[in-house]
Amino acid sequence: MSAILIVLFGTTILYIFAASRIEAFIKTLALQGLLLFLLILIDLHEINWWNIALLGLETLVIKTIVIPYFLLAVIRRNEIGREVAPNVSQLYALQIASVIFTFGFIVAFWAARTGTVAQPLYFGISISVIIASLFLIVHRKRIITHILCYMMLENGIFLLSLSVANEMPLLINLGVLLDLFVGIYLFVIFFDLIHAMYDGNNIDVLTELKD
Amino acid sequence: MRMILLVVPFLLSLFVAWARHRVVNRVALLGTGAIYLAVVTSWWCSWDLDLEPAWLAGYFTVDPLGLFFLTVMVLVFLGSAVYSLAYFQEQKLSPGREAAYIAVMLLFVLAMTGVLLANHLALLWVFVEATTLTSALLIYFERKKSSLEATWKYIFICSVGIALAFVGIIILSMGSQSIGSLFFADLYLRAGEINPFWLKMAFAFIIVGFGTKIGVAPMHAWLPDAHSEAPSPVSALLSGALLNSTFLGLLRVQEIMIRAQQQEFANFLLLLLGFLSLLISAAFMLNIVNYKRMLAYSSIENMGILFIGISLGKTGIYAALLHSVAHSLAKGALFLTSGNILHLYGSKQVADIRGLLQRDPPTGWIWLISLFAIAGLPPFPTFLSKFLLVQAFFTAGQGWLSAPFLLFLLLIIFGMGSAVVAMTFGAAPAQAPGKIPLNLFAYGPQIIMLLVLLAIGLQIPAPVQAMLKNAAGFFH
Repeated sequence: MSAILIVLFGTTILYIFAASRIEAFIKTLALQGLLLFLLILIDLHEINWWNIALLGLETLVIKTIVIPYFLLAVIRRNEIGREVAPNVSQLYALQIASVIFTFGFIVAFWAARTGTVAQPLYFGISISVIIASLFLIVHRKRIITHILCYMMLENGIFLLSLSVANEMPLLINLGVLLDLFVGIYLFVIFFDLIHAMYDGNNIDVLTELKD
Repeated sequence: MRMILLVVPFLLSLFVAWARHRVVNRVALLGTGAIYLAVVTSWWCSWDLDLEPAWLAGYFTVDPLGLFFLTVMVLVFLGSAVYSLAYFQEQKLSPGREAAYIAVMLLFVLAMTGVLLANHLALLWVFVEATTLTSALLIYFERKKSSLEATWKYIFICSVGIALAFVGIIILSMGSQSIGSLFFADLYLRAGEINPFWLKMAFAFIIVGFGTKIGVAPMHAWLPDAHSEAPSPVSALLSGALLNSTFLGLLRVQEIMIRAQQQEFANFLLLLLGFLSLLISAAFMLNIVNYKRMLAYSSIENMGILFIGISLGKTGIYAALLHSVAHSLAKGALFLTSGNILHLYGSKQVADIRGLLQRDPPTGWIWLISLFAIAGLPPFPTFLSKFLLVQAFFTAGQGWLSAPFLLFLLLIIFGMGSAVVAMTFGAAPAQAPGKIPLNLFAYGPQIIMLLVLLAIGLQIPAPVQAMLKNAAGFFH
């Protein structure tokens, strides 16, 4: 069951690469949050109940509801609809996403052969989500999309930390910390500041500082 | 007394934010500096009070390496704190704005202290993240459009970097499941048990992640913006203390690589990023137009030198540690003096600054002598550290690399020297009326930093030499 959820989590990359509407990106992030919540319920047996409760709160409440809600409010308030012309065409981006996704499977099989990783699929798919997020940060131009890509990067890292959660619950709690502080607090605040000060949301406006 | 360093800035920060009173602000800022100096001095004298509970003491330890970097941080923080008094006067800040600045600065210092004392890899990572969050608010302190742009780039790029470092930590824990701990003591002791493949992959992520925060090329894009847009005392802290503290995190991971006998892989990556940093700095330095950005590129160069140093064995590590203290103090002096220049001329453009020696002789002389200190002219310790690094290249059997190393250094010194000489000599343009004259706080910290550097350069004092050897001897 968890393998199906992880693969489903991986396929969300393809959808994000194909979608140009920011709202679709945010809703996919919410879906990723829900998938992570289900994975916690299915896979984590060896950690104590309050840790499970904390992780449930993080995934179901923060990742699935609160962050998407705030981000949707931000894009509606600022009337942001679609991604502006990206650096690479959509078709090529989708092909690259397929390659990254395939790479995730290859990494998973190869990790299984090293024999040290308990759940290779976690590792393969999360690495592909992390690489996909980094690619999208370079590929997309809107500041809000960069925030969304960062959220996706965090989701990928969260998935990776789930693979060692039974042995090291501390790590997954730190992942939660990363989400809470950087994700909500600074990004939303500074995004609003930039929007107010620059009257635009394209990174092309941030060119005052250069050599 | 570790507890004192962690609790005092936190409590004083809250008190300052609540009181918002000018006297309280200044007493808290300078008082924290004095307490830090007293604690570090007592540790130097091997005197300690065990105030902390045992569980906390396990997470924070004072080893020679940590004490070395903590001492450097305290010196730069003291300089920055004293200079801040001149900054407040020049900016005519209200008590409330001063309180905001000091409260965040104390939290920033607390976060750096956490990085330097952490005995647990994940805890160290948390504090590195905390340094980003706190310093971002200081970079945005002047609330200008350009400082917002710099802050955004800083938060975004460093957060991605920190996230990648976290991936490295998770991968390390996958490869070290038999150890089941991320305490440095356990990782050092049982480094041989870590699966080499996962260890190498973890190191690659950690070097990219921490390297982003240290500001080495090609992950340096945020650094010139953030260091040039922050208020000058903050720039001094960012360059002289923050880069070092994250560098210590990387040093601790490098120690794991050495003990696991995977240093060849680590050294290759360190050399690659180190030389790339020298190349990028040289390229930009030759055509520099903004003197604060010039200092930022110099920081990238010097972080590159540290990376190269720790890849070259014991001599290299000793040289890198000596270079780190020399760079921190010289760069601290340069950034603080850049605040004087900005105040005197109201511009960050090299082309607008002429006749510094004529306009304000103390600033001119400090600026010029600080250039000598950073460039590696004898008797400053950067000369000795660079000389030792060239020697380390040959000891490590990579003597041919000393040629590009010296070439890049030459180009950087030429670029930086041309700008500094053009700014310092000649006739000064007419001064804008109504400027508040600079006071002693605007010169004192730099003069003390340069005197400390001279003392180290002429004859490394025995305690400093012992500390350097202790810190370098920390490596297996």
